[in-house]
Amino acid sequence: MPAIKKAEPVIRKGRSGSAVNQDPDVWAKITGKAVYGTDLYFPGMLYGKILRSPHPHARIKRIDTAGAYAVPGVRSVLTAGDISNKSYGIVVEDEQPLAHNRARYIGDEVAAVAAVDEESASKALEAIKIEYEPLPAIFDPTEALLDEAVQIHNNCPGNIAWERDMERGEPERAFAGADLVVENEFSIPSVHPTYLEPIACVAVSDYMENLTIYTALQSPDVVREIIAEALELPLSKVRIIGPVMGGGFGGRVYGNLKLYLLSSLLSMHTGSSVKMRLTREEEFTVGRPMIAARMKVRMALRRDGTFLARESDIITDNGAYSAQAPWVSKTLSERNDSVYRIPNIKTRARLVYTNKVPTAQYRGYGNQAANFAYESLIDQAAQKLSLDPLHLRLKNCTRAGDVTVHGLDIKSCALSECLQKAAEKVGWNNRKEGCGYGISAGIHASGSLVANKDFRGASARAVLELDGRMTVYTGEQEYGQGAYGAFVQIAARTLGLEPQLLTIYCRDTLVTPYSQGALANRQTTIGGRAVQLAAEELKKLIEEAASEMTGEPVKMIGGSLAAVSGKLIRFDEVARYHHHRTSGLTLAGEGCYVPPPSKYDETSYGNISVTYSFAAHAAEVKVDRETGALTVHRIVAVHDSGHIVNPPGARGQIYGGVTQGLGFGCYEGYVFDRGKVANSSLADYRIPTALDVPRIDYHFIEINDPEGPFGAKGLGEVVQVPVPGAIANAVADATGVRVTNLPITAEKIYRTMFKGECDG
Amino acid sequence: MKEQVIAFELNGEKVETYTDPALSLLHLLRSRFNLLGTKEGCGRGECGACTVLVDGRAVNSCLVPAGKVRGRKVYTIEGVTAEGLLRGAKVHPLQEAFVESGAVQCGFCTPGMVMSTYALLNDNPSPSPEEVREAISGNLCRCSGYKQIEEAVLEAAQRLKAQDWQDRNSGKT
Repeated sequence: MPAIKKAEPVIRKGRSGSAVNQDPDVWAKITGKAVYGTDLYFPGMLYGKILRSPHPHARIKRIDTAGAYAVPGVRSVLTAGDISNKSYGIVVEDEQPLAHNRARYIGDEVAAVAAVDEESASKALEAIKIEYEPLPAIFDPTEALLDEAVQIHNNCPGNIAWERDMERGEPERAFAGADLVVENEFSIPSVHPTYLEPIACVAVSDYMENLTIYTALQSPDVVREIIAEALELPLSKVRIIGPVMGGGFGGRVYGNLKLYLLSSLLSMHTGSSVKMRLTREEEFTVGRPMIAARMKVRMALRRDGTFLARESDIITDNGAYSAQAPWVSKTLSERNDSVYRIPNIKTRARLVYTNKVPTAQYRGYGNQAANFAYESLIDQAAQKLSLDPLHLRLKNCTRAGDVTVHGLDIKSCALSECLQKAAEKVGWNNRKEGCGYGISAGIHASGSLVANKDFRGASARAVLELDGRMTVYTGEQEYGQGAYGAFVQIAARTLGLEPQLLTIYCRDTLVTPYSQGALANRQTTIGGRAVQLAAEELKKLIEEAASEMTGEPVKMIGGSLAAVSGKLIRFDEVARYHHHRTSGLTLAGEGCYVPPPSKYDETSYGNISVTYSFAAHAAEVKVDRETGALTVHRIVAVHDSGHIVNPPGARGQIYGGVTQGLGFGCYEGYVFDRGKVANSSLADYRIPTALDVPRIDYHFIEINDPEGPFGAKGLGEVVQVPVPGAIANAVADATGVRVTNLPITAEKIYRTMFKGECDG
Repeated sequence: MKEQVIAFELNGEKVETYTDPALSLLHLLRSRFNLLGTKEGCGRGECGACTVLVDGRAVNSCLVPAGKVRGRKVYTIEGVTAEGLLRGAKVHPLQEAFVESGAVQCGFCTPGMVMSTYALLNDNPSPSPEEVREAISGNLCRCSGYKQIEEAVLEAAQRLKAQDWQDRNSGKT
């Protein structure tokens, strides 16, 4: 009998799936009791704020902080000279906690203060005097490449943060022998993940040099290592504990490192806990959007539609500091080459520094940006060859058993079925009068093998508690996408137990297994597989302990423990037996899933992922022929994500991901005015509202993948990839003209229709 | 501005506080009353995460000065939760429908979504899907695509009618 009599929730089965989403925080969230970073409070806590450069590029000549210290309630004021200010970075070490001598964008962190409340901290910022000497600034990446351009980072001549020249096969010969060559230029602006909770954290340092940071991250274990190194602390002294995460979408893989480092430094300086949070405006102006891209692309085909070769010249706009932008540029510049069988590829990609907001990543990792360009070009080719765009795709699409042009090993693939189903469901051959139809196909890695070639997998721990229940310890992250729901399903299925008997323990780097985190579509595929293996190990340990206890062989079948004599044993009996016998140990199964190494070479040829997810989306749109106004009627999303283990979670990923793809295609994009973000509010940077979302139909082609747990593959990222391309092709179908720069707005459609231009 | 005494009704209880009347209702609720269920997503009335009811109407609490709620009824997500508990349920049927429809993902928009749709169902017990979308058009959600939220509200409307659920505290007139 529970101590408090409480009504049990009546859990009705979800309409579309076999189980409801088992996010362990769901009841706290619905009642307003879930604690996010922004809700955290610690006794004696101080509040930190950051002074930012008002110049896009300037020399910092002098900083006077005396006035700030005179503000009542101020406890610490830090500038670059007060700290060791070690350089750090994710790919390129081009950042320091505070700008030293030079500020490189409007928003660059110049000083940080901690005070007893936010008002005093703000007053202190106003009291800091800084003398700047403005320097010439560069906002356009093509200008940054010019010889006479000012150098933004001293050790980076030509302002190139990362570059890549890649050739596969014999592209020049293929172009020379082609029946048709089509080409075009496309541009895609920076977009922000726009998670609804602005990033917040509390840093707590103590006199034993322990540093605990409370903040929600997609990759807390990786961030912990970066922080320990940047602050020159022993790794074991740094711990990250995650409150509930108010959305991530790639933006919280590394979150806002500046905020974590500065709150930590302020806490180490004052000995008090320090809370910092970004405003929504700061999210847009100093948070980390995804890189913008300009793509010049060419494609060679045979008369019958066979793809022969593709050539791309890609410039991505890094902004002032690099973070993950090199990796995003890499995915952007090559992933789409594996959607189809294209034997010859030539790509030049350059990531270029400018004096604008630094960039990072967003769900889809640039794959969706390039997909828009390449899928648009395929439709151009179809038109020239008078071929059906669907048939052209079916003729060339990647199939199971293929090793793609970059060496991706495609073990399972239902892309052709996805294309056919998407076309069938949208009414490809049964079109409505006055509507435009477009289709697009995508691939996404599901569990990276090459982000860290030596660390490819995941681990998990499954524990039998003394009361007979079980706990799964995982370092993977849940933020409403359904990862823990999937893990509970996987563990329950492995153990033959009811999901209600399982609990997930997570979000504490001191306790949970190390993980690369929620990225690269890897949670279900890799993290889930580790959970499966840990559960299998626990099952074995339970059977062994029970056999020892009863003196006869015991098997765990259908959720029960049965001895050969027929005697049934309770789980808590076995747990207690082991606990007493070992004076306090619990039965714990550890599982690690280590995917086979990849032969990935220095030219980036080779398998990069455990498996690959595929999708084809079809769009039905209507364009007002007089004004260019676009109405997206319908998106049909057909996916090969293998076996779907958590149907309600998968449904949430489809609706949410397609809606973000709609935003990417039709609404979103940074606008700059001389380096200043001109649309730094949710009123000006528009994301889709409930009134904007079209009808979304979805369908899963459930083939079993040989690698994923119970045949599952990732879904969260690939779902956004084909959307902008499908809409772009549908708009071109409706109007006869093509908009080549995102977002596809009414104004651009109008200008393209009537003025033959598209300059954004 | 000078601090003043402000008395109002909060989730069915009479309360009195001494505060700057220009302080936003959002901050008053969060810092003075420790009601952290009301979230700040932008602080400028653009995202709806801070939606509460004032005399039964859904408003962005970040835009309402504390002085404006003097003598009025303020109702928050904590009030809705308590309403469910007082009726012997785990949560309010609207909240239950959100959970079952998969309408809660990261959850940061959720309290605001619940408040906007709570107000809708008070005014219009049988809304159409279009009316639901209209009611939440000021509440941004980045996870869901809104479909599951729309389904949850339509389902909740059925359940509230079936259970003859009467709201007593929100200030509905």
